[in-house]
Amino acid sequence: MKSQLFEYLESRFGILPPKFKDFEFYGASRGRIFLGPKHIISRPEPVSVGILAARTGNAIKPTTNLLQLFGRHASKNIVNLNKENIMKYAKGESLLLTEQEKNSSSNGYVIVSYSSVPVGCGYLKDDSLDSLLPKAKRLSLKYL
Amino acid sequence: MVTGIPYSFKDRYFPIVDDPEAFLSCLNSQVPRSFRVNTLKSSASHIKERFDSYSINIRPVQWYKDAFISDEPEVGATFEHLSGEIYVQELVSMLPPLLVKDRIEDKIILDGCAAPGSKTTQLAAMMKNKGLLVANDISYSRIKALKFNQEKAGAANTIITNKDLRHFPKMEFDVIILDAPCSSEGTIRKNFGISSLWSEKHINNLSKLQKQLITKAFDLLAPGGFMVYSTCTFAPEENEAVVDHLLSNTEAKLMDIQLSGLRFSKTIEEWKGTEFSSEVKKARRIWPHHNNTGGFFLAKVTK
Repeated sequence: MKSQLFEYLESRFGILPPKFKDFEFYGASRGRIFLGPKHIISRPEPVSVGILAARTGNAIKPTTNLLQLFGRHASKNIVNLNKENIMKYAKGESLLLTEQEKNSSSNGYVIVSYSSVPVGCGYLKDDSLDSLLPKAKRLSLKYL
Repeated sequence: MVTGIPYSFKDRYFPIVDDPEAFLSCLNSQVPRSFRVNTLKSSASHIKERFDSYSINIRPVQWYKDAFISDEPEVGATFEHLSGEIYVQELVSMLPPLLVKDRIEDKIILDGCAAPGSKTTQLAAMMKNKGLLVANDISYSRIKALKFNQEKAGAANTIITNKDLRHFPKMEFDVIILDAPCSSEGTIRKNFGISSLWSEKHINNLSKLQKQLITKAFDLLAPGGFMVYSTCTFAPEENEAVVDHLLSNTEAKLMDIQLSGLRFSKTIEEWKGTEFSSEVKKARRIWPHHNNTGGFFLAKVTK
């Protein structure tokens, strides 16, 4: 599970395993993987450990929170949106990318950034990007 | 506008506040909008640059380099809010972690009453996401908000537990933050009106609970460790009396509290005929009108 995630993050985004040296990965139900502290306690039993890092199933899907934290260490498959498109992304809408925004990314999950700050995950298919921002985080940006 | 302040509220606090008129006038004004930079994702200089580019005036806070006061109330509509680079938080709520900020990386830390997670996420950032932070809360429903904020901040060194702190299993923490449940009188400015629950009976019930919590938390503190007890209320029953109870029943010692640029006030020496231990004087009050903040109480304890 851990090696599979490391392999995915390195091959898809160029994020190297040493970036996670202060943490441990923890498997949970429904294919979820959490990124947490190296040492935890067992009593009282934690109701949650660390942050949700990825969901696994047919494919590995990194979470918004993981990419906000580690996306700056990525070297590929990063789409850097313009002002108009980041506003759509923040509302959870799908959008069309310019070549410059697409930044040679290949189809699949990509890191979405604005002004070089990673903000979440999107799904790229050709020139179209689906916002995968969780509903609870969506908002109308007024200042950007 | 604060409405419905009971007469007994004024009756209790006017005699112990330095300037009752300024105090009341401050309670009737809005608390300034403030936020903290999440240093796990950004820096104060980057955030200042970004807000300058929006022409939003933000002012640094003299006593905390990662905090700002904003003239724009809608900081939640900024890109930096979406990216988790900033966390909206009342200024005085940032104080407890600041009192233990030195050398806390790689430590085992307990946030005893953690929801909704303002201090938890601040501690995780100060720990640089290292060590182990246990964020505990008794309320399962409040843990939902704690979990959301912890995830959003990227506090990966944090685990969440759902226990009544009074029944927490025996173990030792290097640092404990006990921001106790209280009557929240100091947040009147934010909540626009005193709680309908406010009464001296309610305060006395909370005081009993707080005495149990502080005693248990002290029991969980490692020798040489630090604990910060705090409330956002003015009631001496929930502040000086609770610390006095700890000092009378354990080997606890208090430490001096200093923070350059913030005006602290002395504690109350006696209340309703009960004189507190002179050691309690090392704790500090913060009256709203002195720094244009909410009201607060802090005690730094060591073992």
